[in-house]
Amino acid sequence: MKKFLQIALGIVTSVGGFLEIGSVTTAAQGGASFGYKLLWAILLGTICLIFLVEMSGRFSAVSKHTIVDATRERFGFPFFSIVLLGMVLVAFLVLVAELGGIGLSLQLLTGIGFRWWAIPVSFAVWLVVWKGTFGLIENGVSLLGLVTISFVVAALKLHPDWHGVARGLLPSLEGDQKAKYGFIAVSILGASISPYLMYFYSSGAIEDKWDVTYIPINRIIAVLGMSFGGLLSMAVLAAAALTFGPNGADITTFDKAAQIMTSALPRWGLFLFAVSMLVACLGAALEISLAISYFFAQGFGWNWGESIGPSRVARFSLTYTIIILLAAIPLVLGIDPIKVTMISMALTAATLPLAIVPFLFLMNDPIYLGDHRNGWISNSVVAIIILISFVLAVISIPLQLIGG
Amino acid sequence: MDLVRDVLDKRLVDREDCEMGRVDGLVMELGERSQPRITHIEIGGNALWARLHPVVTRLAAKLARKWGPKRAAPVRIPWSRVITAGREIKLDVEAKETGAIDWEIWIARHIIERIPSGGHEEEE
Repeated sequence: MKKFLQIALGIVTSVGGFLEIGSVTTAAQGGASFGYKLLWAILLGTICLIFLVEMSGRFSAVSKHTIVDATRERFGFPFFSIVLLGMVLVAFLVLVAELGGIGLSLQLLTGIGFRWWAIPVSFAVWLVVWKGTFGLIENGVSLLGLVTISFVVAALKLHPDWHGVARGLLPSLEGDQKAKYGFIAVSILGASISPYLMYFYSSGAIEDKWDVTYIPINRIIAVLGMSFGGLLSMAVLAAAALTFGPNGADITTFDKAAQIMTSALPRWGLFLFAVSMLVACLGAALEISLAISYFFAQGFGWNWGESIGPSRVARFSLTYTIIILLAAIPLVLGIDPIKVTMISMALTAATLPLAIVPFLFLMNDPIYLGDHRNGWISNSVVAIIILISFVLAVISIPLQLIGG
Repeated sequence: MDLVRDVLDKRLVDREDCEMGRVDGLVMELGERSQPRITHIEIGGNALWARLHPVVTRLAAKLARKWGPKRAAPVRIPWSRVITAGREIKLDVEAKETGAIDWEIWIARHIIERIPSGGHEEEE
């Protein structure tokens, strides 16, 4: 019974924690610009994420190491410091985007501009991490995140064309606007396959003291949780496609993005959109702040743990305090969170090999995993999807920058 | 035992299982007649930054002169203090007394405890 509850909670929290400003903005942009044609990118990203999350949980349950821990140990400090630098820079940009997303949601609800929200929002996020425990962040915020299911309701109420949806699940090439198509595809992949999620998940498995008996539970949570999560992203894309029609507008503001909800639910749409985004971005901001601190603490061998008093894990606490403070600065200066989102998602895709390639080596290392090593299917699926994302990123990011 | 695979970069804990950093360097003794042998484990500071680039080492040293706990010598733990070397390396020492967690204590006292509800580093 207890295990069953754990499975249910795990699935529910991964569904609730799936959407954030990255997945919503990129999916909405994809639907508004190219109809259902980019659904395949979400499908591909979700499949890859299922494998990666399953691996992260299995790795920590069997080896009792977090991924960061093992990366430093296995590859040494010089290589580790490159991974650290790359991952922390990208995660920091994503944190700016998420804090901005909370601000934009509050702007929708109150009419007060997001720049004014930057400081109070950062303070609130910091306070939750400072005072809260790991369980609170993992379960509490994600449970609230279930409000994002309203995107599915919106998509269904707009009556999608199921044939178009099915065709969109198969990759296709766009005739004109190839650079934009590629860039959005890359951003969607980057939004789905977030490395910080792996670091967070594997640290969570250690905080919750997982062992080998958790392998089946871990598998169920990864498959069901991430699949339902991917469905939410697809619902956002479909709703955007139906609201704006093919070759519709660029989604440059939250007001515009909110139309995907208001077109289906005129009375409650705006409120539901704002609350969904608020909770989703809050959950992501908390997870990223913690993931960055885990990265430093585990890499350098500091005491760490979200459920221990701040002064007993002083360097760990100082890290998230500084990171959250720094992330507020660009927002106060008025940087556009939606632009930061699109760029940080594409950069995530471009830096995926840095995170995933060493991880795949670890997943095949008998010292850590013994008989629970990866099989050839997991290795090839992840390697191929990472390769596709990387190639697409390298081609489309420069093209998009040149084309504006 | 493979020094690079099993020792370098491993987590270090004291006898109370308190984290005290990682094996950032190893000190070896070369005698004229005897076999080379590992004498100390080095933690933090120069041992770590020197593995990246001399510029990083100089920069870190400069910052450390302005900020943080003052310490002249690098932290070295005699190899004879190693109790077990498995998932982590357990040392027969008390972390606080070695100097390995000077920074942890300095940050706790000077920054974290000054923030309301930061708690106290000494309390259990």
